[in-house]
Amino acid sequence: MALVEPGPTGVKTGAEAVDAAESGSDPVMVETGRRLGLAFWLSLVWIGLIVVAAVFGDLLPIRDPEELGIRTREVERFEGPGRNAWFGGDGQGRDLFSRVVAGARPALVLGLSVTVLAATVGAAIGTTAGYLRGRVDAVVALLVDIALAFPGLVLLVAVRATYGNSMVVFIVLFTVTSIPAYARIVRGASFALSEREFVDAAESMGATNRRVLWNELAPNIAMPVASFAFIGFALVIVAEGGLAFVGLSLDELTWGQLISEGAGDIDRHGHVALIPATVMFLTILAFNLAGDQIRQLYSPREVATQRRLTTIGEHRPRVGDATLHVADLRTTLHTPNGEVTAVDGVTFDVAPGESLGVVGESGSGKTMILRSIVGAFSLADVTRSGTVDVTGVDMLRADDGVVRKTLGTRVGMVSQNPLSALNPVRRIGDQIVEPIVFHGVAAPGPARARARDLLRQVGIPAPDRRMREYPHQLSGGMRQRVTIAIALANEPDLLLADEPTTALDVTVQDQILRLLDEQRTRRKMAMVLVTHDLAVVRGFTDRVAIVYGGQIVEVGPTDKIFRSPRHRYTVALMKSMPDLALPSHSELAVIDGSPPSLLDPPSGCRFAARCDAADERCRTVAPELIGAATVDDFDRTAHAFRCHHPVPVTVGTGDR
Amino acid sequence: MAGRGHAHLRDDAVLTVLDLVVEFPGPRKSVVHAVSGVSLDLRRGETLGVVGESGCGKTTTARAIMRLEPVTSGTIQLDGMELSKLHGTDLRQARRSMQMIFQDPVSSLNPSRRVRDIVREGLSIWDVDIDDDVAERISTVLDAVGLGDEAVLERRPHEFSGGQCQRICIARALVMEPDVLLLDEPVSALDVSVQAQILNLLQQLKRQFGLTMLFVSHDLAVVKNISDRVMVMYLGTVCEVADSDRLYDSPTHPYTRALLASIPGDQLDLPPAEELISGELPSPIDPPSGCRFRTRCPMATEICATTMPELRPLPDDPTHVVACHHA
Repeated sequence: MALVEPGPTGVKTGAEAVDAAESGSDPVMVETGRRLGLAFWLSLVWIGLIVVAAVFGDLLPIRDPEELGIRTREVERFEGPGRNAWFGGDGQGRDLFSRVVAGARPALVLGLSVTVLAATVGAAIGTTAGYLRGRVDAVVALLVDIALAFPGLVLLVAVRATYGNSMVVFIVLFTVTSIPAYARIVRGASFALSEREFVDAAESMGATNRRVLWNELAPNIAMPVASFAFIGFALVIVAEGGLAFVGLSLDELTWGQLISEGAGDIDRHGHVALIPATVMFLTILAFNLAGDQIRQLYSPREVATQRRLTTIGEHRPRVGDATLHVADLRTTLHTPNGEVTAVDGVTFDVAPGESLGVVGESGSGKTMILRSIVGAFSLADVTRSGTVDVTGVDMLRADDGVVRKTLGTRVGMVSQNPLSALNPVRRIGDQIVEPIVFHGVAAPGPARARARDLLRQVGIPAPDRRMREYPHQLSGGMRQRVTIAIALANEPDLLLADEPTTALDVTVQDQILRLLDEQRTRRKMAMVLVTHDLAVVRGFTDRVAIVYGGQIVEVGPTDKIFRSPRHRYTVALMKSMPDLALPSHSELAVIDGSPPSLLDPPSGCRFAARCDAADERCRTVAPELIGAATVDDFDRTAHAFRCHHPVPVTVGTGDR
Repeated sequence: MAGRGHAHLRDDAVLTVLDLVVEFPGPRKSVVHAVSGVSLDLRRGETLGVVGESGCGKTTTARAIMRLEPVTSGTIQLDGMELSKLHGTDLRQARRSMQMIFQDPVSSLNPSRRVRDIVREGLSIWDVDIDDDVAERISTVLDAVGLGDEAVLERRPHEFSGGQCQRICIARALVMEPDVLLLDEPVSALDVSVQAQILNLLQQLKRQFGLTMLFVSHDLAVVKNISDRVMVMYLGTVCEVADSDRLYDSPTHPYTRALLASIPGDQLDLPPAEELISGELPSPIDPPSGCRFRTRCPMATEICATTMPELRPLPDDPTHVVACHHA
C-alpha cells in the first residue's frame, strides 16, 4: 500500500498509517511487506545461472561431462577443486563442473514441466470447486483427500516397472502427484475470494460463472499459485534427489545421480558428493526464498517488524487532583516512509467522576491517544514524549511492573469488539475473577462473589448461570456488558472506552451508554470515551475534545461546544451529520479534500487546505490552542480552540 | 404462508415484492427465518429506505431481490416481469436491470483490476463495449460520481480511499443504466464527512438520472435524509411504512418508537428507550408467535401472542401503514 503516493485527488496520507495502527494492523508491516528484498534478487540471480546452464550447457567452453580423465589425462581421479577443474574430478576423472552443469537441464525440464502442468490443472480444479461449491466442491475435496493420502512411492515403483524411467514418465508421475496440493491451496483461496462482494457485484451485472472465474478470481489467485509454484519446483528437485539416492531415478545425468555416485567415497573425497549437493541445496533455497517473497507481496502481514517502545523528554507532575493528566503528549511511529506523528502535543486532564469525549474521524489519532496512555501498540516502533500521569504514576517512565500494576488496578478498558476482547474458550466467571486475583485485590472465594455482584450491576440477568457460560453463548450487547464488568472488577479510578458501542445496534448502544454513565457517576470514575459519533458524545460526556490531524483542535464543556462550536472543522463535522431534526433530503455540508499527511504535516493550520475561511496566515502559522491549556495548568471549564478565524459565538444562545 | 398485509402497495410501481420469504438451513436441521412475508414496492424515481437492527432481515431482503439469496417463496416483479423463478441466462438478463451497492467499498472492487476495466465490466459482459461511445459512457459515469480525472482510469482500487472506492462502485452500477439500484449499508463503513459526500452524491444522481433506489441501513438519520419513504423491519417482518418526514414526526409502531428513542441526544419527543423496549432480540430460528415484537413490547397483550398483526393504513394518512394491534 503506497503511503506517500498521492491519488488522483490526493487521497493517501500519513493518516492512513495512523488508521492502520489504530485498527490493529501495522503500517510498518504493510510497507515492508510490499517490497521484494535482497534475498529475492539473489535467488533470482542463482535461478538465472541455473537456467543459463540448462539452456546453453552444450555451448559453453567446458569439458565433456562424460569424458574420462584416464583417456585425456586432463583431470585426475578424485582431483580436488582448483584452477584446472573448478569443482575437481570424480572417481573416473570426469570434470565435476561439467557434470553439475549438465545436471541443470534435467532438473529444469522436470521441475518446470511438473510445476506448470500441476499448477494449471490444480488451479483450474481448485478455482472451480471453490467458486461453485456444493456438490462439485464436495467431490473435488474428497478426491483431493484421497490423492493426498495415496502413497506416491508405490505408484512410482509400479509405473517405473511398466513404463521405464524416461523423462516423460517422471513428468507425468510427478504432475499427477502434485496436482492435489495445488488444487487444495487454490480451492481455499477461491473460497475466501468468492465471499468478497466484488464477486456478488459481477454476478449482479449478469456475468456468467466462467467469466467470474476468469476475470474476478483468476487474477487474484495467480499470486498465491506463483508463490506455491516456486516452492513446488523445489520440492520436485528434492524428490528427484531422494529417488536418485535409492536408485529409482531418471535415466539421465541428474544432481541426485551425482550425489549418489559420490556418496561412496564421501569420507575420503567428500567434494564429489558435496559439490553437487551444495548446488542442489542452493537451488532449492533460491526457489523457496523466491516463493516466500512473492507470498509476502499478497499477504504482507506475515512480515514481523521490530517492536519497540521508547520514551524521551521529561515528566511534569500533575497539578491538582486529576485522575488522568496528559501534557504535551507526542507519539511518533517510525515507518519505512518516515516518521508519522500520530499524536502531536496533546494536553488534557480528566477529574474523578468526569467524562471526556474524544471525537475524530478515522486516522485523526483519537485511538492513538488512548493507546499512548496505556502503551499498547501492535508491533510498531514507537516513541512517546510528554506526560501521562494516572493517579500520580508516570505512565511513560515508571518501571514496567509499576505500569502494569497501575493498568491492572487503577485503569479499566472497554474496547470496540467485545468478542475479541473476551477469551472464547474460558468461562465468563473465570475471566472476571482472574484480574481480581492476579493483582492480589481479593482471594479466589471473595473474588467470585464480587464477580457475581459485578454481573448483576452491569445488568446481566441470572449471573450465577452466566458465570459458567462461554462468550459465544451471549448476545453482542451482553458480551459488552461482560467486558465492562471485567473493566470494573478492580474498582478502577479511570475507565478508557474505545468506541464501546460502535459494533452494537442502536437500542443496545443506548443501554450500554446508560450503563457506563451510571457506573461512572456511582463510582466517581474518570472516563475517556473515544468515538467517531458526535451524537454519542453529546448525550454522555461532560467535556469534549475534537481531534484532527493528531492534535486537539477544540476542547471544552460538551454543552458549550454543541451550542456554539468555534473551530471550523468542528462546525463542518457537525453539519455533515444527518440530523433527525431536519426534513428529509436536506443537503448535507461537505468537507472537501482529505485529511493532511502526518508524514509531512502542513506548517500552518492542519485544516487550512479544507477550510473556507483559510488565508495566508492559516497556511503558514500554526494556531495555538487558545483559551485553556497551558502544559501545567488545565482550566477544565474553559472552551479552547486552535483557529485563527474562529466561528463567531452564536448570537442569542449564550444565556440558554 | 399468508401475507402480512399489502395495504402499502400501489399499482404504478416499477418493483413490487409480494410476501417474500427467505429461510436458511440452521444448525441441527432447524430453519432460520430470515425474512417472513415481506411486501414492498418502489415507484420510478423513488427512494425507499429500509431500516432496522441486525437480524431484522433488511440486507437479506435486498439480496434476495437481486437473487443473491435463495427465495423460499413470494414474488418479485420488475416492470411486470417475474424474477423469483428465473434461472440461467434469463436470470442474468434480469439482473442487468438492477444493480447493487455493498457495504464494504474496498471489498466490492477486484483489487487486481484497473478502474477502467472495473467500470467497463458490465458493458463487456453484454458486449455493449464494441460501440464507439464506450469510453464516453465510462467517463460520463465517472464524471457523475466526481471522479472525472483521466488518471483515475488506469489506477487500481488500493490507490483510492474508502469514499472514492464507493464512488467507483456507484459508477460501475450506473453504467448499466439500472431500473432499480439496491444499496446495502452503502455509507456505514465511511467516516461522517465522507458519508455526507456520498449521500449528497446519491441525491444528485437521483435527480440527474431519475434513479429508483432501495436504501438499506441501520442508521435512522441517514435513512431519513436519503429516503422518500421508509420501511421499518423487525425480525424478518415489516412493522411500519410511511413517508420519510411523517414516520419521524409521528412514529406509531412501538418498535419504531423504541428505535427512535434509542438515538443518543434528545432531539425527539419520546419517552426514554428503556420504557419502550426490554429484553433481547429473540432467535430467528424460533421466532415468537403472533407479533414478533411482542416479547419486548410494553403494550403487548394476549392477542399479540396469537394473531400476527397485518399492515393497515392509519385513518388520518392512508399512506402510513402499521402492523400493530394496539397502535
